[in-house]
Amino acid sequence: MSKGNRGRDRAAAKRIVEQQKAAERRRRVTIWTTVGVVAVLLIAGLVGWGVLANQNKKTEASQVNTPSVAVDEGTAFAVGTGPVTVDIYEDFMCPICHEFEKQTGSTITQMVTDKKITVRYHPVSILDRASNGTQYSTRAAGAAAAAAVGGKFLEYHQVLFDNQPEENSDGLDNAKLIELGTSVGLGDTFAQAVNNKTYDSWATKVTETFSSRGYDGTPTIVVNGKKVEGPNNTLPTTEVFTQAVTSAAG
Amino acid sequence: MDLTQQPSRLSTAWPWISTLARLGLAAVFLIAGGLKVTDLAASARAVNAYELMSYDTAKVVGAVQPFLEIALGLLLLIGIATRLIAAIAAVLLLIFIGGIIWAWSQGLQIDCGCFSKGGALTGGRTAEYGLDILRDVGFLALAGILLWKPRSKFSVDGLLMGDR
Repeated sequence: MSKGNRGRDRAAAKRIVEQQKAAERRRRVTIWTTVGVVAVLLIAGLVGWGVLANQNKKTEASQVNTPSVAVDEGTAFAVGTGPVTVDIYEDFMCPICHEFEKQTGSTITQMVTDKKITVRYHPVSILDRASNGTQYSTRAAGAAAAAAVGGKFLEYHQVLFDNQPEENSDGLDNAKLIELGTSVGLGDTFAQAVNNKTYDSWATKVTETFSSRGYDGTPTIVVNGKKVEGPNNTLPTTEVFTQAVTSAAG
Repeated sequence: MDLTQQPSRLSTAWPWISTLARLGLAAVFLIAGGLKVTDLAASARAVNAYELMSYDTAKVVGAVQPFLEIALGLLLLIGIATRLIAAIAAVLLLIFIGGIIWAWSQGLQIDCGCFSKGGALTGGRTAEYGLDILRDVGFLALAGILLWKPRSKFSVDGLLMGDR
């Protein structure tokens, strides 16, 4: 063996040792980054869980001002005394809800007058994202609850839809909500409830109940416990709605 | 001669391709999570709209998911344990695609809630499940690249492994 050869062997051995060291280092890095990453993901999940638990606390019964006049587990305002129950879940920001109101509102009023139906209005707030962070849906639903306490739910319901803001605008501010209240004869108690957000957490609670009942869009119209809709989940026409009421009245 | 040159050129390109895939996927998860995290109740309703689980379960999933997405996005951004994260991302994307296919097959008219709080669609708007799936498959491809070639530039992995 020549000297040169021995030197090359030594170099090769050194290289192998270095490669093993590098491999060892890779293995350690992989293990520790895996542990670290899994921990980070677990913590992220726990944060989500924690935030949820915190939010759930806010809709606990003790934290919510349920309007005394509310029916159906305190989630709705009833109009009329007829035998057929019509539940309407609506968001004051939702244009289709307004459309249904314009389209079928007079028929509903007639049915109420004829003592055919009892309408239960559930003001939900699923479109808070459509008011640039001002949470119009929740504020409007809370204001509607205050109006119900003042005995003017239906009137206020009507002016809210008549003055419905555009989706993705700021919505109506509280001053405007109060002004509309004044226009239908609501007073200081109402104004205070709007400014103090007295019923806002209640609106959140109503929305929770709405979701837990398996509904996810507005308006949702339910006649004697059965959801009424047009083909392909569209808004029912007045005819479809009337038929549903007639067959429910049996 | 050519045979040795070709692969070496490709092998220098891969870390750059992987870097793009990594940052792209990071953006996807950060945006998707960020849009949902501001309204967890809406996120829960979006999950609930798939009608796959009870509302109470949907609430937990809806709350945990955005935080997970943001965490995945940040981890991808710094490039740590890239292969593992890519695998988790791929599994998540497969679940999302499965969910959309489910909604489609059930004839549900919902917004997939992929980049929004989702929920049911009302009047006039129709679901575009085909597009949603196509987009998710694209994201899946990014995750695939990272699974296959996790080494990328400007990554914590590279730093720790002693790459240049």
